[in-house]
Amino acid sequence: MGKTAFCFPGQLQERPIFNEGHSLNRDPRFAEWLENVSRQTDFDLIHFCFKREEAGVNLKLQMATYLLSMFHFFRLQAEGWVPDILAEHSMGVYAALAAAEAIRFEEGLFLTESIGRLLERESASSRETMGSIIGLTYEEIATVCQELEDHSISIANYNGSKHFVISGDEVGVEKAIASALSKKAISASRLSFNVALHSPRLSGLRQEIDGLVNDIEIRSPKYPLLNHWTVGLLKTEEIKGFLSQEIGQPVYWDRCVERLIREGVGRFVEVGQGSTLSKLIRWINRDVETFSAGDWF
Amino acid sequence: MAEVNSELIEKLKQLIITRLKLVDLTPEMIENDAPLFGEGLGLDSIDALELVLGLEKEFGVIIPDAEVGKKVFQSVRTMAQYVLDQQRTL
Repeated sequence: MGKTAFCFPGQLQERPIFNEGHSLNRDPRFAEWLENVSRQTDFDLIHFCFKREEAGVNLKLQMATYLLSMFHFFRLQAEGWVPDILAEHSMGVYAALAAAEAIRFEEGLFLTESIGRLLERESASSRETMGSIIGLTYEEIATVCQELEDHSISIANYNGSKHFVISGDEVGVEKAIASALSKKAISASRLSFNVALHSPRLSGLRQEIDGLVNDIEIRSPKYPLLNHWTVGLLKTEEIKGFLSQEIGQPVYWDRCVERLIREGVGRFVEVGQGSTLSKLIRWINRDVETFSAGDWF
Repeated sequence: MAEVNSELIEKLKQLIITRLKLVDLTPEMIENDAPLFGEGLGLDSIDALELVLGLEKEFGVIIPDAEVGKKVFQSVRTMAQYVLDQQRTL
């Protein structure tokens, strides 16, 4: 079996719907937890809205992602699960830090909302987006990006040998998607984002994020936490710098999974709604065990 | 156009279950004509990549691009028809 890694996914791409038959609605802990959460945030997870200052869909998806990851983490803990190591993908870092007790739950909420609002502001002044390309190799994607040099398209996520996410201006990303399809990609499509996340285009936010994290007291992570950019274990003193820079740097998820396997991980638990990370891990290594806490309970 | 047979349908259902590690599913639970993506089996584009590789490895059949993939992966029956058509042209 090996060690167990808890993996915290990045932003959901669709609004979670909690209809009557939803598994979380059958868990009385969920209602109780939501009631507690509603005292700590202006965001209403069930109705997918902010109670006072309304926001765009991406910020709401980021809030929902954080909250659902944290709920699934608490539920896993209550069932007796203990991770040997944590890993995170993109904005999953806030929930991973809170789960590792490097920051408090409410500080994770604060960071998710504050950084999300910075991204919303950026999106108002620029026309940027991201696209998912599946079925081409790194060399083929790199060629697609190079051929569009006027648009500064960059690879934002290295999710596997044939799965990449690109970031850039809207026109450039649309052209890259068309180019990828002409090069026989299995799938190429725009994502919901309206900023070029994990690209140098967002490096200018560093000082403002520094200001947001400055007052937060970072504690030593309770579990080793592998970061998506340098693919190293985050030391306490590195966390603030990581948070202010990672948004302008790529996500190397393929290398994270390979490193975790080298560390002896044989079981990957996706701590959130959906199973995107589990599917990416399945592609990287079919021999390890993967499952999503959202599907499992 | 040759008719797909139940043996091929069964093999393809098994391929879907194995490649996608759908451990809670049995071939009987997958309907021949149900959509594989979205509302049906709920597969997505990451799953499609696995199925493309699976078809190539186990049936020697290539899905050349997204357009063909969309048509082939509509249901188990459309997958079977494509496998049959491709194997006859080999």
